Amino acid sequence: VTQAAVKAARLPGDPGVWIFIIADCCAFALFFLLFTIGRIGNPDLYERSRLLLDPTTGLLNTLILLTSSWFMVRAVEGARAGERSAVTRNLALSMAVGAGFGVSKIFEYSHKIGLGITMLTNEFFTYYFIFTGIHFLHFLIGLAVLAVCLAKARQDPLDARYVTWIEASGCYWHMVDLLWIMLFPMLYLLRAV
Amino acid sequence: VHEQKEYGIWRFCAWMGPLFAAVFIYFWGWLGHNFPPFQPDVPASDVAAYFRGNANSVRLGMVMAMTFAPCYGVWGYSIAKVLERVVGKDSILVQLARVGAAWTVITVLIPTSFWLTAAFRPEALPDWQIQMLYDMAWLLIDLAYAVTSVQMFAMGVGFLRDKRAVPLFPKWLSWYGIWVGFMFIAECIMPFFRSGAFARSGILNFWIEFLIWLVWIPTVTFYVLKATRRLEAEDAAG
Repeated sequence: VTQAAVKAARLPGDPGVWIFIIADCCAFALFFLLFTIGRIGNPDLYERSRLLLDPTTGLLNTLILLTSSWFMVRAVEGARAGERSAVTRNLALSMAVGAGFGVSKIFEYSHKIGLGITMLTNEFFTYYFIFTGIHFLHFLIGLAVLAVCLAKARQDPLDARYVTWIEASGCYWHMVDLLWIMLFPMLYLLRAV
Repeated sequence: VHEQKEYGIWRFCAWMGPLFAAVFIYFWGWLGHNFPPFQPDVPASDVAAYFRGNANSVRLGMVMAMTFAPCYGVWGYSIAKVLERVVGKDSILVQLARVGAAWTVITVLIPTSFWLTAAFRPEALPDWQIQMLYDMAWLLIDLAYAVTSVQMFAMGVGFLRDKRAVPLFPKWLSWYGIWVGFMFIAECIMPFFRSGAFARSGILNFWIEFLIWLVWIPTVTFYVLKATRRLEAEDAAG
């Protein structure tokens, strides 16, 4: 293996963060499996429950997270180029757009609870509330991580250490997207055969 | 000579972790019918019948689990000694890692005493009371997760600060520990379910949660022993 190949194959961020990301993805893979097994056993219930979710909100959430991630990519590029203003501006935009996901999710949860639908309503909604709830927790942690990145970008030198930091945070933030991109079709769109 | 003796004690303390895990699995888990536990929706009479029919096994199981519970804390102190070499003796992270391990001992000691109470005179207790003690113990041992998370987060953050070219404690294991401490949050939903994946006996709230913790203990021990050998060699080299 040439040195160039090793360099090209480098994982962004700290390799250790990838252990967290892989472990987390495994946990969600298990969640998706549980959902699929439940759905095979009771397709009618899952279909009836699914129709109570609003796919437009789901789509909006997807777009919010993807846009936020796009700003994150630009922030990482800014850090690599050593442009402090690009980093702070894009990080702030990533957080501001991303926060929209939180607002939308709170509305969605309160609406469901207002209709008397909770995680104890049926198996579909148990999975809906728990999986999106755990995802929501990941989202909140992501926002906190971005806030730390932003604070560091304002005062610390934009050196290799900072680039590792922001890359690792970016990888985590993209994982939050990725999980939502799996959750959205599974919960909102998947039709009964 | 004095230092060498200390490292020996570190190693002895580090071995207390796997010892705790082994005793916990066999005595608390197997003899106490906790590995896996009764599903919460089984009738009280089933739980009561087990406690009456196997009172001596459960008593022995809980007595041993209580006796060896402090091993977890002793193990945590050996980890903290290695952590001191990364972040310094006075670091709050060392103190939190230590206290997280010590508190975890309490979260084992108290619920095991409830199971022991249920097995003490099961013939005189009504079925529902045995079930209640069994439930109470499970609710406590699961919901006390955050105490252990303190240890995991403190160790994780502390060891990640290692500036050595080859860190004393691998970074991936720090991240894994942080992830486990975080995953424990799933225990919060356990009281809402009596069957399925999120019940105390379910795939997530029992199998995954206990497995990721029980795998972490010997893995951490392996690397603490390795770090101890390294520190000892560094000291010997002056």
